[in-house]
Amino acid sequence: MFIYTREAHPGENVPHHDSFDRKLACAKLLAEEAGISRDILVDDLDGTVHRAYGLMPNMTWVVGRGGRVAYKANWTSAANVEAFLGRFLAGQAEHPPGTLPAMYETQQAEFRYTDRKRFMQQLLRNGPRAVAEFEKAQQLWAQRAAT
Amino acid sequence: MGEADRDSKAAYNYPRFDEHVATGGDMADEDAFRASPWAGQRAPDFTLPRLGGGDVRLSDLWRSKPLVMEFGSFT
Repeated sequence: MFIYTREAHPGENVPHHDSFDRKLACAKLLAEEAGISRDILVDDLDGTVHRAYGLMPNMTWVVGRGGRVAYKANWTSAANVEAFLGRFLAGQAEHPPGTLPAMYETQQAEFRYTDRKRFMQQLLRNGPRAVAEFEKAQQLWAQRAAT
Repeated sequence: MGEADRDSKAAYNYPRFDEHVATGGDMADEDAFRASPWAGQRAPDFTLPRLGGGDVRLSDLWRSKPLVMEFGSFT
């Protein structure tokens, strides 16, 4: 399931949302262009759900039965989620004879692989301003890293 | 309430990504993620409209099997 949030990189073609109707229209356009077949839910204009889950622009969460957080990632890697789900579902169902499953938590660094060319194309689709502002942000990040 | 509400929506829906970063918005987003519920804690429940019609309650989706939730926008 996909939750549509604020536009992370607003631009001339896809500006920041100033009304819920605009947000809904953008969500519909995204569904068509990206060919998303999953259910798409639209967060309210104030980002209530996005705020509650932590405001990062492309998170993936897994919530287990009973409503407890099973997985939270500040960026999305389909491969990582799939690998987790395999372990999570198997871990509950299978265990060596004489043992019982007991849940524990980890926090770990993982890697995802970014397609920079595709990302720049997506920014451009939002508008030339989105590209320019991202490039400006890169300078800001470089300055931050230097201090 | 009206003005604070408008300010909140305006702050959330930033018009410029470079200004969001310049004002530390991206770092605030990282902090917000760290502060959000951890593994094992209860996931916040909400009801949201679904494209294609109807409202969906998150807890109905995670009732019988794990729910994978991806957050995102055009980029």
